[in-house]
Amino acid sequence: MRYRIATLAIIAVAAWLLPYGLDSYAIHVVNVILIFAILAVGLGLCMGVGGQVNLAQVAFFGVGAYATAILTTRAGWGFWVSALLAIAATMAIGLLVGTPALRVQSHYLGIVTLGLALAFTNWVTNAQIAGGAEGISAIPVPTLPGVDLSSEYLYYYLELIVFALVLAFGLFIVRTALGRRMRAMRDDALAAGALGAEVPVLRMTAFLLASVYGGVAGVLYAGLIRYVAPESFSIANMFLLLAMVIIGGRQSLIGCVVGAVGLYLVREWLVDHPTVAQLAYGTVVVLVVVFAPTGLAGLPKRLRAALGRGRAGSAARLQPFRPYETRAEPAGQGAPILEADRISMHFRGLKALDEVSLSVTAGEIRGIVGPNGSGKTTLFNVISGLYRPTRGRVRFRGRDATGLAPYRLARAGMSRTFQNLRLFGDLTVEENVLVALDRSATWHSWHYLLRPVHVLRRDRDLHRRARESLDRYGLTEFAALPPKSLPYGIQRRVEIARAMAAGPALLLLDEPAAGLNGEEVRQLSEIVRSIRDSGVTVIVIEHNMGLVMSLCERITVLAGGRVIAEGEPAEVATTPAVIEAYLGDSMEVTG
Amino acid sequence: MQVFFQTIIGGISLGAVYALVALGFSLVYRTMGLVNFAHGNVVTVGAYLASTFYLTTKLPFALAMLVAIAVTAAIGLVIERVLRPLENRDFDLMLIGTIGFGIVLDALVIMIWGATGRAVPSPVPAAPIELFGLRIRTYDLVVLAIAAVATVLLVLFLSRTKRGAAMQAVAMDHEAATAVGIHVGRSNAIAFMIGAGLAALAGGLVGPLLYVNPALGGALGIKGFAAAILGGFGSIPGAIVGGLAIGVLDSFAAGHFQGYSELVTFLVFTVIIMIRPTGVFGERTVNRA
Amino acid sequence: MVRPRATAISAVAVLALVVAAGCSAPGGDKKESGSDSGPIKIALVDAQSGQLSSLGAWELKGAKLAVTEWNAAGGINGRQIQLDVFDDQADPTTGTNLARKIDSEGYIAMIGTAESAVTIAMAPTLKTAEIPNITSGQSPGLVAVGSEFLFLNGPTSTTYDETLAKYIVDQQGIKSIALITNNGSYGKGEHDAFTKALTARSVTPVADQVVTTDQKDFSAALTSIRQKNPKLIFLGAEEVESGLIVKQARDLGITVPFAGAAPQGTPVFLDTAGAAGAEGTIVSSPYLSNDISPASKKFADAYKAAYNEDAELHGAKAYDGAQIMLTALKNSNVATGKPLADAIRATKYQGLLGDFAFDQTGVGIFATSIGKIQGGKLVAAAG
Repeated sequence: MRYRIATLAIIAVAAWLLPYGLDSYAIHVVNVILIFAILAVGLGLCMGVGGQVNLAQVAFFGVGAYATAILTTRAGWGFWVSALLAIAATMAIGLLVGTPALRVQSHYLGIVTLGLALAFTNWVTNAQIAGGAEGISAIPVPTLPGVDLSSEYLYYYLELIVFALVLAFGLFIVRTALGRRMRAMRDDALAAGALGAEVPVLRMTAFLLASVYGGVAGVLYAGLIRYVAPESFSIANMFLLLAMVIIGGRQSLIGCVVGAVGLYLVREWLVDHPTVAQLAYGTVVVLVVVFAPTGLAGLPKRLRAALGRGRAGSAARLQPFRPYETRAEPAGQGAPILEADRISMHFRGLKALDEVSLSVTAGEIRGIVGPNGSGKTTLFNVISGLYRPTRGRVRFRGRDATGLAPYRLARAGMSRTFQNLRLFGDLTVEENVLVALDRSATWHSWHYLLRPVHVLRRDRDLHRRARESLDRYGLTEFAALPPKSLPYGIQRRVEIARAMAAGPALLLLDEPAAGLNGEEVRQLSEIVRSIRDSGVTVIVIEHNMGLVMSLCERITVLAGGRVIAEGEPAEVATTPAVIEAYLGDSMEVTG
Repeated sequence: MQVFFQTIIGGISLGAVYALVALGFSLVYRTMGLVNFAHGNVVTVGAYLASTFYLTTKLPFALAMLVAIAVTAAIGLVIERVLRPLENRDFDLMLIGTIGFGIVLDALVIMIWGATGRAVPSPVPAAPIELFGLRIRTYDLVVLAIAAVATVLLVLFLSRTKRGAAMQAVAMDHEAATAVGIHVGRSNAIAFMIGAGLAALAGGLVGPLLYVNPALGGALGIKGFAAAILGGFGSIPGAIVGGLAIGVLDSFAAGHFQGYSELVTFLVFTVIIMIRPTGVFGERTVNRA
Repeated sequence: MVRPRATAISAVAVLALVVAAGCSAPGGDKKESGSDSGPIKIALVDAQSGQLSSLGAWELKGAKLAVTEWNAAGGINGRQIQLDVFDDQADPTTGTNLARKIDSEGYIAMIGTAESAVTIAMAPTLKTAEIPNITSGQSPGLVAVGSEFLFLNGPTSTTYDETLAKYIVDQQGIKSIALITNNGSYGKGEHDAFTKALTARSVTPVADQVVTTDQKDFSAALTSIRQKNPKLIFLGAEEVESGLIVKQARDLGITVPFAGAAPQGTPVFLDTAGAAGAEGTIVSSPYLSNDISPASKKFADAYKAAYNEDAELHGAKAYDGAQIMLTALKNSNVATGKPLADAIRATKYQGLLGDFAFDQTGVGIFATSIGKIQGGKLVAAAG
């Protein structure tokens, strides 16, 4: 910590003294680099942290610069007023460009944002108000009492302060709740949604952040260059920006800055050989993507991993589970918490579910069994909102919940695990739990701007609760590790801990015993019972009949998308229809 | 009315080229799940190669095209080899990797052929056909015919030959395909080879229509990719329909909105994609939990 | 052990910060310009990469030819002239960077690009730095900048199009004219200048089609034009696009001649449109061909000898511009800044494009000639 402060102080002093050693051209280059660095941080936030492919960052930059130019020269407003309005305008455009992200992702989003960026350049090339192809010149120098900002040296300090602020703000976001949620969404939008992250809001937030950074950079550009023209916001510059972020390491904001500074300096160095420069940075992008997907920023970590392989993982040990306190009388005992009413789900003519009805009482452990392909997971996906049923209704806690977005259901008190484990691979075990613990609404993110202390305090509280939760599940020693490095059984336990951290009333477990050994199955059984005793209703899909028979109070049997039996374990096991359905699957009855 | 039909003809003429570009995008995508953003630059390479053989070595146009296709297909193999580690990986990473590759190809083209371009005289000098006051260039008909033949050949290859069937299998489920003994790597390489060949075909054909310069492929690539998405990414008929649709959309936007045509084209495209993300022939894929 | 040291460093850092803040602001630029010995440094800023690099290449060749001639003759006041090339990539932002660069590296004058937007972007910096520059742009926007350090090495679009309109409307009596221009800075400038010239003659164009700079299919625009049956089509676009438009127009059965300014006289236009398609195109240009005068013949021969290719307008313009700059340097005894700008303004020069005499706006020539493409060559139009 002390070292970090010292390093920071040294960097600050160096940055402060930098202009004293530079000639007037070099300081100009530095000023342009700072603008690109701000843009890169914005792109890093949107694409690296939020996972939203955004090829319109250069258009955000353009909107900021053009809005400033138009407001100052055409409307005659002051620079700073124009600057604020320009940033607001950029945010509005950011929301507009981000809208397609609600419907499409990855390469689809890439081409759409690229198209919109082209549309922007096309508009400014034509519009009278934007000066057409010749752009707008004679943008006034920003005024600041006592400081002559027409001097590039003094402008540097303005940029430096703005840059430090926006970088710090970006890091603040990445390292606290909002950033964690965005990273979770990037890793696995489905799982993040099932844990209550409002995926649509988060995607818009990612674009909003990108646009704010683009707007700030655009305003600084307008004040520095005092001239805007369409060519400066071209696709070639977008790709350059993209290369900066990728080479630097898109998931690390510092990496983005390093990439921006490094690539721009190289380009400056090769300024008389632009084709060579282009060849060089294109090659580096390919190499980085193939060999070092985390970019320059990821290199130290990869090196460390290569040197001390497996050291940390083997040292950590799983501790025993510490049961929850038993609630004497679980709330709402006896009333149905979940009702499925004649649900049908068709996929292109295939009936995965056919008029399935189900009622689960609060406080029970319900087992759902059936042969492979009988529709168990599909039923879970309908209940948890991943699929909208073709027909039928779902009621959760007395309210209609048919086709509600997964995050809404999660916030209403439903939590789940996944058959194939969907842990956030790029987050640590603790962060996985933190994402689930965080129940705040994403639109409250304005707190970041106006109440940063509140955000920090809340985050500290979340960390305390995450440690408690990990401690309960005996996972404390794994807290800082990436989940993918852990043995399968432990990953299963992390996923349950994560699902429980969301504080659900109903927990859906999809084959929680798959891949576990005998001892682990016994521990699982203990954990599930304790969870129920703490007042949470549990529904389990399971193939391990031994576990189901001993654990569940009631069992629903599915076959071919229909309910063929329901009742207490002993009663169901003797139903002729069940025996018949399982004839081909006898291994699992005995197993 | 005349303007209307003539605009459609103009749109279809370029649309056929977009369709060929889209076909390459879709074929590579369906086989190996790779979105090749460098495809547009491969088109440029193909256009330069074809025009070089045609103009400098004085080969007949058809022969020059064949040589260009062969050479570009070989380049395709090289690209596939370099990008192989990206296959079936993080989609966004893949996308960026191919953008990087495009930047490299772009620089190489400038280094080899220079930053300025060249005009390619039309190999079909016959006068345009006049029909009900509409004029149709003979060369456009040639382009359309070649595009149609290429599509038919591709469909036949995919459905009638053993190797094609294997590629179809890889497209559907590459794990299962591996399990039944299909060499996935070879399928991918062939897909990429054909994709690059199609790019050369598109580039070579468009040369006499337009002007061959380093920026040629960039514009065709973006429109071609949009076409592939519009038709339903990975679908062969979708690529054709998408290509023609983008061509016609572009022409009408140019006619009605003049300077603002690009803005309109991409706004319309965005709206269509938002309404129907899977395109015309695309199938909705289900989330697997 | 750790704590005290770190604290000490922080303390030093804070102290340094305070000291730095207390100091005077940085920015003392040690300029090396105006030194009286060594070579005379002139910067040439042009697009050496990108789509417009052919223009840049021609301009470089023209300017270099002039400098080589002067150096071979002993330079100015015994000093050699050093011409350094900077690539603006046709990007205004790069242009602003270069403006600062040539200032900080002590160049005393600049030969500029045909890309008017780049020149406009650079103008304020060059004005502040007092670096006189002669550019190849022709946009009226250059004049609107109002910099006393900015000069043009040719006429503006206004002159080109006024001459053209005079020939077409006044002399040929053609009144049924259609316009097709692109929305780039060149096309827009042409559109406005030609429309103005037409309005002055109370002629209204029968069609006014605008296309984008990277449009490929012009069927819609051209078919609308065809329906209006104009007698002539005015073309305002760069070489390649103009060629494509003419080619497609001919395919659509449009047989009337096209008319335009400088780009329509270049080989690139001819190649793209095809000789048959370009036949009859009316061109307004200050430099119709290499054998228009003894001076141009001499220039063309030297150009051919140096680069093994035929000279054309852009090279000739840059050659003239460089000659004027060097003459002014000689006349002013290698002055810099304002005196040099004044010297340029005072320079009367008989160039390839005609007789230069600069006015307050920085434009030195106000006439173009009308040429016609006949048999695949640009020749002076009769009458």
